[in-house]
Amino acid sequence: MTGPRTEPTTRSGIPLKTSYEAVDVSDRMLERPGEYPFTRGRLTRPGAAAGGWIHRELSGEGGPAQSNRQLHYLLEHGQAGLDVIGDGPTQSMLDADHPLCRHSVGTQGVSLCRLSDYAGLFAGIPLDQVSISSSVPAAFALTGLIHAAEQAEMPLGRLRGSVLQPPLYANDAAYDSFMPISLASRLSVDTIAFCAEHLPKFHSYVEDTYFFSEGGLSAIEELALGFVQIRHLVGQTLARGIPIDSFASRIALLVNCSMDFFEEIAKIRAARRLFATMMRTDYGATDPRSLSLNVTSHTSGLTLTAEQPINNVVRGTVQGLALALAGVQAMEISAFDEGFRTPSPEAHVVGLRTQQIIEKESGVTRSSDPLGGSHLVESLTDEIESRVLAMVHEIESLGDPIELAERGHFRQIFTNAAVRYQHQVESGELQIVGKNCYRMSDEDDRLLRDIAETKIEPDRDRIAEIAAFRKSRSNDDVVRQLRVVLASVGDPEANLIPAVLDAGNAGATMGEIAGAMRQAHGHPFDPLGYLKSPL
Amino acid sequence: MQPIRILVGMFGVDQHEVGALAVSSALSDAGMEVVYVGRFQTPERIVSTVQDEDVDVIGISCHSWEYIEYTPELLRLLAENDLTTPVVLGGSVITAADTSDMIGQGVAGVFGPSTPMELIIDDITALAAGRNLRE
Repeated sequence: MTGPRTEPTTRSGIPLKTSYEAVDVSDRMLERPGEYPFTRGRLTRPGAAAGGWIHRELSGEGGPAQSNRQLHYLLEHGQAGLDVIGDGPTQSMLDADHPLCRHSVGTQGVSLCRLSDYAGLFAGIPLDQVSISSSVPAAFALTGLIHAAEQAEMPLGRLRGSVLQPPLYANDAAYDSFMPISLASRLSVDTIAFCAEHLPKFHSYVEDTYFFSEGGLSAIEELALGFVQIRHLVGQTLARGIPIDSFASRIALLVNCSMDFFEEIAKIRAARRLFATMMRTDYGATDPRSLSLNVTSHTSGLTLTAEQPINNVVRGTVQGLALALAGVQAMEISAFDEGFRTPSPEAHVVGLRTQQIIEKESGVTRSSDPLGGSHLVESLTDEIESRVLAMVHEIESLGDPIELAERGHFRQIFTNAAVRYQHQVESGELQIVGKNCYRMSDEDDRLLRDIAETKIEPDRDRIAEIAAFRKSRSNDDVVRQLRVVLASVGDPEANLIPAVLDAGNAGATMGEIAGAMRQAHGHPFDPLGYLKSPL
Repeated sequence: MQPIRILVGMFGVDQHEVGALAVSSALSDAGMEVVYVGRFQTPERIVSTVQDEDVDVIGISCHSWEYIEYTPELLRLLAENDLTTPVVLGGSVITAADTSDMIGQGVAGVFGPSTPMELIIDDITALAAGRNLRE
């Protein structure tokens, strides 16, 4: 039986022709890589070679010491940057000894509750050479890094690395920390402002479109929501009187890379052009570094299957190649055991080796933007640019992004995408090898299963350690500093980062500091109703 | 005929919600009433909702290993409250060995990442009607 004939489209629904000719491309002059509007690649130093990127793999499990061993393992295998993710409790701004966290501590990331945890996590790592991308609530990742740097006697001005700023979308599309959206947004701006002054080399704002597109957003929706948030946070930062050229170059984009090869490449090229144009035209940036977007990337976990896990190595290779051709500055290949767990050591090395083979053996990065001028890729780049811009304007016309988030507007977009994706897989419209076609019986599908199915036990010692820590510290100091946090949130002129840092130095935990902030907004200290506020 | 009422939720701080949302939508389309309790559930909270909302089936979406600890607690608490509401689990993290283990402990059904939605709907319909699933 054949259904109605449908015209082929990209994953985002852009109609595709069977071939592309010069007439399909706008007659704009193609700029060279490294020239405004940076469609073909970001600014490079004069004489720099083409290609090359920072290799990263997602890491973090157990407590800080165990994760520190994992980080050193990756560096020993040739990784040049790090990507650390917090466990479920950490991402939700809950401490390890919170009653609801007892079965999850350290199982899907590293448990980070105190400033001293960061010193343990980063022990022996040169913080001025290795760029650490932190998927941990930004204000805490930043103050933790500052603490680790102070312990290592490293001046803040030399610190590299980045934090994610997802205030509009985190609660709906990833980890709900029960922070009011307006407070989350303010914390983002506080971080950006603080770093503009004290950490000039640090990327204080990574716009992470990866996590919220993982439910099945199209490439267009992914970029549109990303730019809505960029425009929101840039506007809020400018409103503080901070000049655009003092922070725009500290913005980076963390994109997803799905399986639609040419569309994903075009998406990244369009993102660079959109960013450059917006920064210059809408915000008056003049420094070329403010216009040239730094792009980091993860290959899509959503496209990976629990079935036949070795096929995920192939998917990672295809997606990694797309990212290399698009000219990203950093890459992470989601691991073959993604359907089951955060990466095993074996999966870590395969992800890293995939990147190394693409970079060192294939030769695809010897020239910048090798697909520049391709009729198909240029046509898709133009089409994505105009569709993203239309969607950004449509969302902005509906009202203030904070209010839209509070009204559940974005949550509806994420839910619709998840349902749409489910339909596409169920109907076979989207073919996924091993899942809805070319399936294997469970008995035959055993390759790599032993590795993928190995579980990480909850770190129960860690729970005891944090509970004991509470008894060992000066409660008076903690309460005094938490009161400062509370008062700072009430003062619209205050930057919250110094108060967070002081509270952490006094021994207050992340859960307590987050609780004090919620309380200052009239929300419960413990959103889940287990803990009493010390304030 | 009353529509089938199914509770859908996730245990602890398991926050990967995409599967739960997609399945809930498909169950609603199939005419069921979904009592979506979402994230941050505990066995106590679920049992209390079951009592208040009169649900026919409990569905737990699993994308962390927390279900291994919480599911037996839930089954025990249901029994202690004289509730016979069947419990089904779904999610890619549940391996074949875990499936046997959970069924052995009294879970009524486990759905993996490639279980067709039709089969999920049929199974939930059968469980709501008081029938056991084959195996």
